[in-house]
Amino acid sequence: MCDIIWCKDCDTVNYLDPYYFWNWEGKIKCAGCENVYYVYMIQGHMYKGPDKKPGEKEDILPVYADKPNQGYEQILPGTEGKTRPYNCLPRHIYLGRADMVKFSARGRPVRGWRPQPPSTGVAGSCGFTWDIQKLSPEVWEEFQEKLKKGEVSDW
Amino acid sequence: MAQKIREVEINSREDTLPLMGPDVRPWPVTPPPSQEEVMAVYARRKAEEFGKWCEDNLRIDYAKDKPEALQGVRVLSCGLWRMGHKFAAGLLSELGAELINVEPPEGDPLRKLTPFGREEYMLEDKNGDKCGLDFIHELRNAYSVTINLETEKGRELYTKLAEHADILIEEYPPGYMDERGIGYRQLSQINPKLIYCWVGEHGQWGPMKDKVSKFGQWMLDPFGQAACSFIHNTGFPEDLLPRGKGGDPTRSGVWFADYVAGEQTAVNALAALFWRDEFSGEGQFIETTAAEALMDILDFDITWYGFNKSIKARTGGWDPNLNQYAWNPCKDGYMMIGGQTDRLWYRIGMCIERELPIFGRLIHEDPLLKEMAARNALQALTKTYTMTTMWLRNINRVEAEEKLMQYEIAAGPLLYIDEVAEFPHFKYRPWVNVLEDEQYGTLMYAESTNAYQMRTPARVKWLGRPLGYDNPEVFMKYLGIGQSELRELKEQGVV
Amino acid sequence: MKDQRVTRIEDLPGPKSQGELEEMKMPYEEWCRKVFAPGQEKTKPESLKGIRWLSTTMYIFTPHSVANLAELGAECIKVEMPRMGDPMRHTSPFNECYLYPLHDSRPMTGTGLGFTNANSNEYYITMDYHVDEMKEAFYRLVKLSDGLTECYRPGTFDRWKQSYRYLQELNPRFIYVWGGGFGYGPKVFGGSYDILGQAHAGLASVTGFHEDFGGHCTKHSNWCIDWYSGTQITVAILAALYWRRKTGLGTMIEFSQVQAATRALGYTVPLYGRFGIVRQRWGNWDTQLCVHGIILCGKSDYPDEPNPQLKYEARYAVVSAFNDADFKELCAIVGRNDLYDQYKTLQDRVKPEAQMVIYKALEDWAADKTRSEVVKTLTDAGLLAMPVMNDKEVYECEHFRQRGTIRWLDDPVFGDVLIQSGYSCGLMSKTPRRVNWIWRPVGADNVKIYHEMLGYPMSKIEQWYEKNLI
Repeated sequence: MCDIIWCKDCDTVNYLDPYYFWNWEGKIKCAGCENVYYVYMIQGHMYKGPDKKPGEKEDILPVYADKPNQGYEQILPGTEGKTRPYNCLPRHIYLGRADMVKFSARGRPVRGWRPQPPSTGVAGSCGFTWDIQKLSPEVWEEFQEKLKKGEVSDW
Repeated sequence: MAQKIREVEINSREDTLPLMGPDVRPWPVTPPPSQEEVMAVYARRKAEEFGKWCEDNLRIDYAKDKPEALQGVRVLSCGLWRMGHKFAAGLLSELGAELINVEPPEGDPLRKLTPFGREEYMLEDKNGDKCGLDFIHELRNAYSVTINLETEKGRELYTKLAEHADILIEEYPPGYMDERGIGYRQLSQINPKLIYCWVGEHGQWGPMKDKVSKFGQWMLDPFGQAACSFIHNTGFPEDLLPRGKGGDPTRSGVWFADYVAGEQTAVNALAALFWRDEFSGEGQFIETTAAEALMDILDFDITWYGFNKSIKARTGGWDPNLNQYAWNPCKDGYMMIGGQTDRLWYRIGMCIERELPIFGRLIHEDPLLKEMAARNALQALTKTYTMTTMWLRNINRVEAEEKLMQYEIAAGPLLYIDEVAEFPHFKYRPWVNVLEDEQYGTLMYAESTNAYQMRTPARVKWLGRPLGYDNPEVFMKYLGIGQSELRELKEQGVV
Repeated sequence: MKDQRVTRIEDLPGPKSQGELEEMKMPYEEWCRKVFAPGQEKTKPESLKGIRWLSTTMYIFTPHSVANLAELGAECIKVEMPRMGDPMRHTSPFNECYLYPLHDSRPMTGTGLGFTNANSNEYYITMDYHVDEMKEAFYRLVKLSDGLTECYRPGTFDRWKQSYRYLQELNPRFIYVWGGGFGYGPKVFGGSYDILGQAHAGLASVTGFHEDFGGHCTKHSNWCIDWYSGTQITVAILAALYWRRKTGLGTMIEFSQVQAATRALGYTVPLYGRFGIVRQRWGNWDTQLCVHGIILCGKSDYPDEPNPQLKYEARYAVVSAFNDADFKELCAIVGRNDLYDQYKTLQDRVKPEAQMVIYKALEDWAADKTRSEVVKTLTDAGLLAMPVMNDKEVYECEHFRQRGTIRWLDDPVFGDVLIQSGYSCGLMSKTPRRVNWIWRPVGADNVKIYHEMLGYPMSKIEQWYEKNLI
C-alpha cells in the first residue's frame, strides 16, 4: 500500500494526502496505535516503506484516519496524539455540518437555521417579506433581548 | 514524415533563439482535427444538423465577412503600467470601437518590461524600437498617439481629442488629471456626452486610495489582489505544504485583478453608453478598481464572514464547497476531475475502482461519504483525494482524460502553454491564433473571447503599435494639426 | 428652436450656476464622494431600464453574465428545475452555511452560500421546459424578452426546439447566448467548471510556486475564472444591444469559458509563439519587476486570537520598490546597501538569481517583525507596501465601508446579509449598480411571472405545480 498506510495491528487506515507527501521522506505515526512507520515517497509512490520503526520518534502525524472494518470509525483532524490538527481553518472551531445561525455577525436576524415554517403561496411563490414576528416568534423575542442588551450594531 | 536533420551548435541560450519562431516551427505543429472528424463527434449525440448550423454561423473564419457591433464608437485610452485600461479598451476595440491610446512621449513603461529583464524576448518594430510582449499582446487594434500632459499645449490637445470621444478610459493616480484641469469635472463641461472611466487599484478617494511612492512609483497589481483577500485565500495551506515552500498565500501568476477591473470597466462603459443613447444623452463618471472588482467575484467570502465570522482559508488545488472538484498530481503533471452530484461522483468512482479496487472499499462503501453535502467536510476531501491520487499517480494526463471521458466526466489535464497551443480543441477553433502583424511579424496571441458570434463577432486586427505611430493621422483628422505644426510640437516636447 | 444669434450661458463651457461653480472648486476627493454618493443609488436611474433577460443557467459562469445585467437594472428571470433549483444552491463551504428555506416542500434543505452574488435581483420561476406541455409558456417568455443566456450541453436546447435556430423565428430581436466550456469543435460535449478552465487554459501553469521551490500549480481561489468569463459575456451582450438599436436584429453569441482564462495570460502566448519559451510559475514574485512581491514576516499581528487565520496567517506583506530610487531606499531601510550597489538597474534586479537574493534579504529583515511593523516602516519612509488582507480585515476596512462596496443588506426574504458584490463592480455617477435582494426561494415568482406577466389562469398554475412541471 502507499498513499495510505493500513496498519494491520490496529486495523486503521492512515491517509497521506497527495500534496504534503508527494515527495517526502520521514517517519509517521499511526493514528490508531503507537506504531511508527518510515516512508520514502517519490512522485506519490512508496519508494521505501512503510517500515515499522519500533521505539523511534515520529516526524509527523496523519491529518485523517479511519477504521473501515469497525464501522468506518473516524479519527478526525486534530485528535490529540493521533492526528495532526488542520491549522488552516476559517475558524478555530471546525464543524463540517450546517451551522444553525439565527443572527448575523452584527446581531440581526438571518434565516440560517432549519426547519423554517412554511410561508409560501401557490406553486411555491412568495412575496418580499419575512414576517419574523409571526413565523419565528422565539427568534423575534431573542432579538428584542439582544437589542436591549446592546448586542446589535451597525457593523 | 521524415524529419530534416539540422546542424546546430549550442553554446549559450542565445544560440537557441533562432531555432524557434514561426518561420522555423510554424504553428500548429500538427494540423488541427478536420471538419469531418468533428462532424463525427456531433453525430455521436445526434447533433450533426445543429453542429453544422453552429459551424456555419459561428465559425471565426467567417468573422471578417460580418459587421462590427461597436462601429462608430470612439474610445480614448490613457494610462501607464497597468492592464486595466488596456484590457477594457481592448474588449471594446475588438468589438469594433475605434481606439486611440494616448501615451507620454517617452511611452508607457510597460513597453519596456520583459520577463526577467531579457531584452532578447522583446520585439523590434520597423523603426528599430523594442517593445515588451505584455504590451504588444494587450494593446489591441489601437492607434498610438503621444501627448505630453505636463505641458499646457499637450493638455489643450488632449482636451480637444476628448471632445471627439464617446468613452474615455483613464488610469493615472487619483486626481492627477483633475489637478491638470483635464479630469471628468472639466472635460464633461466641454463634452457632456463623454463617458469617463477611471481605473485603479484601490480607488481615487477613500482612506486607502491609490498612492504613489515619494519617488513617484505607482501601485500596481498585486496591490489590488492583496486588498480584497484574494491572495490570503489563494494557495496551499500549511497543512498540505510547508510554509515558505509553497504553503503560503499566493498571488495570481498574472495581473489578474487588473483584468477583472478592465472587463467590468467595459461593462459599465457600455451600460452607460446604452443609457446615454437610449434615454438621456448624457455621459457620466465611472470608477472601477482592481481590489473591488476582484472582491465582487470572490464568491461569498466576505458574506461568509458576516454569517458566522469565518475567515476563508486556503485549500490549494481543492475546493471546500465541492467534492470532487480539484486537481491532483498524476504521473506527468496534474489532472483536474470534477463531479459532485451523486450521479457524477459515483461515475468517477466507478472509473477509478475498475483499476483500483480498494477505492470502492474505502470510498464507495463509506457511509459517511454517501451524502453529497457531507462530502465537502475536510476529512472527506482528504480521504477522497488521497485515494483518487493513488489511481492518478500511475497514469498520464492523456490516459486519465481518456478513461474519464468514457464516463462523461468533466475532466481535463492541467496544461502548459505549449500544450495549450497544440490541444486539438484549442487549435480547431482556434483559441490561440496567429496573425501577421505589419510591424512585429507573425505573432501568436490569445484570441478574442467574443469572436464566436452569429452577426457581430469580435476580431483582432493588429497587436501593439509603435509609439506615436498614428500621431500624423489622428492630429490631422481630429485636431487639424498638419505636418509642420506637428514637427514644432515635437520639438517642444509636446508630442 | 434656438436663436443662433443669442449666446446662452448653458451653451458655454464651464459652470452654469453658483452650485456648479462650487462643485468645480471642491477638493477632488470630496467631489468624487459627492458624485458617486454611496447609499443614494436608489435616487438615480438604472442604465438598463426596460431590458428583460432570461437566465436558464446553472453554477456561476453563465449566471454571472445575467447578474451583471440585473445589477445594472435589467429585469431578469431565472428559470430553474422544479423543487431542485440550481445545483449551486446545494453548495456551501465545508457544508456549513445555508439560508432557509430552499422551497416549502423541503423544510430541511437550504440554499448554500455558494449561490451568493451570482443571481442577485432576479425573479425566480421553475419550469421543466423540455416537457411539451411547457413549450408554449417558454415561447411566450421568449416573445416578451430581449434575450436569454443558457448553459446546457450543445444540442440540448436544439433537441428541445428552443435553440436560436427556433427562437430567432419567434423573435428576430432576440439575443441568444450560449455559455459553456468549449463550444463547437472536437471537445464540444466536454463539460467544464471554473477549475477546469484554470487548468486547461494554462493559467494554473503560471500560478503558484515553482517546483524547485517546493510548490505546485495553484488554483486561483474561488471560482474566479467562472465569474471573470461571465463578465466578458456581459460585454458581448451589451455590444449586441448597442448594435440592435441600430439594426433591430438579434444575434447568437457562443462563449467558451476555458478560452477566457487563456486571454488573461499576457506575454505567455506570444513568448511561446515567437521563441518557444514555456512560461513557468514564479510564486509570489514578479517576472517583470523587482522588488514587487509578497514576503513572509516573522510575527503574527494577532498572536492571541483563537482563529488560525489571524493567529498564524496574518504575516504576509506586499512590498513594491522596483524603480531605482525606491529600491535604493528599501535597501537602506533593511540595512543592505550592498544590494543596491550590486543591482543598480531594474534589469539587474529582475534576474531570477538576483530576485532570490533580494527577497531572501527582505524576509531575513522581516523575520523578527510583525506584518504591520514591516508595512509601517516602509510606508513611513514613503515606499509602497501593504498587508495581505484577510476577510475580517476587508470587512473592517473603512475604505470599503465609505465607498459602499461592502455593506449590509436587509434582504426581504432572508434577513440580514453582508454583501460584497454589485456595488463593488464599479461606481457610476448617474446610473449606479444596485443590489435589491441576494436571491429568492425556488419558484418564488411563479405566480408573478406565469399569471401576471404571461396571463395563465391560477388553476393552470396549480395544475402544473401538482404535475411537477413548475
